[in-house]
Amino acid sequence: MHSNALNTNQIMRQVIYALALGIGAAYTFFGWGVVLQIVLAVVTAVAVESAFLNLRKLPVKPAISDGSAVLSAVLLAISIPSIAPWWIIVVGTAFAIIFGKQLYGGLGNNPFNPAMLGYAFLLISYPLQMTTWASEFLNLSQAMNTIFNLTSVDALSGATQLDEVKTQLALGKVISELELHSISQAWINAGFLLGGLYLIVRKIITWHIPVAFIAGIIVISSMLYLIDHQIYLPMQNHLMLGATMLGAFFIATDPVSASTTPKGRLIYGFLIGVLVVIIRVFGGYPDGVAFAVLLMNITVPLIDYYTQPKVFGK
Amino acid sequence: MCLMLPRLPMLNQSFNGGIVIPNPHPVEAVEIIQAPLPDKVVLPLQQRIGDEAAPCVKVGDKVLTGQVVAKTKDHFCVPIHASISGKVVSIDDQTIPHKSGLKSKCITIESDGKDEWIKQSGCGSDFLHCDQATMINYIQASGIVGLGGAGFPAHAKLEGIQDCHTLIINGTECEPGIMCDDALMQHHPREVIRGVEILLHICGADRAIIAVEDDKQEALNSLLLYCHNNRISIEQIPTKYTSGAEKLLVKALLGIEIPSGGLAIDMGVICQNVATTKAIFDAVVDSKPLVSRIVTVTGSGVESPNNYEVRLGTSFEHIVSMSNPNTNQHTVRMGGMMMGVDVETTNTPICKITNCIFVNNLEEKPNNQECIRCGQCNQACPVDLLPQQLYWYAKSENTDKAMDYNLADCIECRCCDYVCPSHIPLAEYFSFAKALYRKTTEDQYRTDIARERFEFREYRLERNKQERAEMMAAKKEELKKKMANDKAKKDKIAAAMERVKKTKKANDDA
Repeated sequence: MHSNALNTNQIMRQVIYALALGIGAAYTFFGWGVVLQIVLAVVTAVAVESAFLNLRKLPVKPAISDGSAVLSAVLLAISIPSIAPWWIIVVGTAFAIIFGKQLYGGLGNNPFNPAMLGYAFLLISYPLQMTTWASEFLNLSQAMNTIFNLTSVDALSGATQLDEVKTQLALGKVISELELHSISQAWINAGFLLGGLYLIVRKIITWHIPVAFIAGIIVISSMLYLIDHQIYLPMQNHLMLGATMLGAFFIATDPVSASTTPKGRLIYGFLIGVLVVIIRVFGGYPDGVAFAVLLMNITVPLIDYYTQPKVFGK
Repeated sequence: MCLMLPRLPMLNQSFNGGIVIPNPHPVEAVEIIQAPLPDKVVLPLQQRIGDEAAPCVKVGDKVLTGQVVAKTKDHFCVPIHASISGKVVSIDDQTIPHKSGLKSKCITIESDGKDEWIKQSGCGSDFLHCDQATMINYIQASGIVGLGGAGFPAHAKLEGIQDCHTLIINGTECEPGIMCDDALMQHHPREVIRGVEILLHICGADRAIIAVEDDKQEALNSLLLYCHNNRISIEQIPTKYTSGAEKLLVKALLGIEIPSGGLAIDMGVICQNVATTKAIFDAVVDSKPLVSRIVTVTGSGVESPNNYEVRLGTSFEHIVSMSNPNTNQHTVRMGGMMMGVDVETTNTPICKITNCIFVNNLEEKPNNQECIRCGQCNQACPVDLLPQQLYWYAKSENTDKAMDYNLADCIECRCCDYVCPSHIPLAEYFSFAKALYRKTTEDQYRTDIARERFEFREYRLERNKQERAEMMAAKKEELKKKMANDKAKKDKIAAAMERVKKTKKANDDA
């Protein structure tokens, strides 16, 4: 006696499929590194999760086939630079699965988004590797060489737009003097936006978190821009740079660690959006999605408790 | 002239949530087959609500159809009638249609094949001359309970009514797959409409609304054909699971939200099911007791799902065998696919609340997975709960927190189970948590009482001790006074004696 709608495994799979557009865009600009990182992450995630389930004396197959480990792995792999050395993604994925998920009791029991926990861990521990991005398309052998540390990478790498803005501002320049032309980031964001809309249409996620997330970004970035448009980026840059769309549709919407009430989801999404901009503008790191999501994960029990819907007849 | 009010979807003040489930085993035409008289009937003495009835017949007694065979002193309960004529062959424990598979005391009557009825005389078709109390007596004496599945005694809803403005007749099939009310409306529209008139007469409401789901066009048409009373209207409501639930139906029809823990009558509304209404018609007009009902037999395990009018106490098997069951292994369920209960065998009696028998091919249940808090359950919940949160607290047996999240308001409709992508039996967790809460509060109550008693005893002992000490002190004081008094008296006597002595001596000397 169950509806014919998607089951949990199918939901996870649909989310992975929906990532395809954004991943495709990333591939177009950064090349094979993107694919290699995903492969490394998925292999690590499955291996670590299997090992841990064995240790916990739990059946391995059902947990692996639910696809949640693979999804976390893919999310982490596309969040890190495509030319990061291989051990970065391996260490990060292992951390995400072990500390982000299995130690809390596996799927459904983790208070934090595992992929973002892994990302925050990597960013704090290896800031250099985590902020060096590919600046051009790498073919398979170039990507292999870079990731497995076979040749030097300097010629192919650079900082991201958000990082660049930060550096230039620190050097005393103003926004109008900067050249903002990050086609690649805009396309990748557009890919994730479309994939996210697909998830909403398929009713795999509700609109609440992404809409509130984007609203949060628009509100806070517009306010800052109105205060001083020489040092604060306009809202369209905040929307189409960094991990904004990935965060709005795929990361903040991770149901396990997000708020679960309709009203709570609006508050949760909005505050993540606000925090993302605040961390980007005032924080020490170029992007703020991971930290914003993790910070808001902490508040979820509180938000859920105080945003219970009115019960029938009460 | 009867009013037929189609509802515009945008004007629908329906409740939130609920789910649309298509009838899993639709039939071409909804019929009612008269099931042949069974060889024997088994009548459980324990009804849905109230005490176990006491038999008023003995083994070996001959009984007529409609004769009272058991009753309780409680006026809230209804008597139990023989549903066939014949001989009482045993009064003992039999398997009853309950999840537990437990046995309970039943009266078994063997048919004599004649179906001889007791003499009946009701208000007659010209019932308007009867007063309310007489009608309610007929309804109680005829053993009528809510036939929609709840089994609430019908007379109890009608007694002492004041300020009832609307009577709602529930013609929504409570669950997908059940067709018995649809069949009844299609084939007994006259009795239903007359029954509504009787109910209007009893409760004094201004109007009655018969609610029919919008996929039951034939039922609607046949009711319209017989409805010539301008106080009665027929409204179509969207076919959605849980609109059959009383409070939700009231909300969908009138926009009135009955408070949590309250009753429909608190808001001036009375609800009765269509089958109950028809039974009330039979009871009031002919004083005909409730000895049969319409039961749907459906499910993947039968070739020809159908409705049967069957005597109460007949075994499930009697009508399941008429629906061409296939040769697979089956699970048997009484009631609907959502809220019904699985029973172990078809060799169990049909009772007043048996609206449907689901015979399904034995299937492997999908393994349930962890909750990912996707929130589909809270979108489906018709009473706007957060099943994902309740699940978390029910699982960890944190009942206080679950009550904080309004566990008590869960109607266990299983909409959440149905949509859960992880196939978690949520409603089972909730009914468990409710029972646990009742138990812990009861235990708490008992410990509280025990502690109070203990503390009172301590206090009493202490008080006694103190009182005794005070009493002793007072007595001592009194004794002292008395002794002092005595001493004074003695002194006086001694003084007097002395004087006497002196006088005597003086006299002697003289």
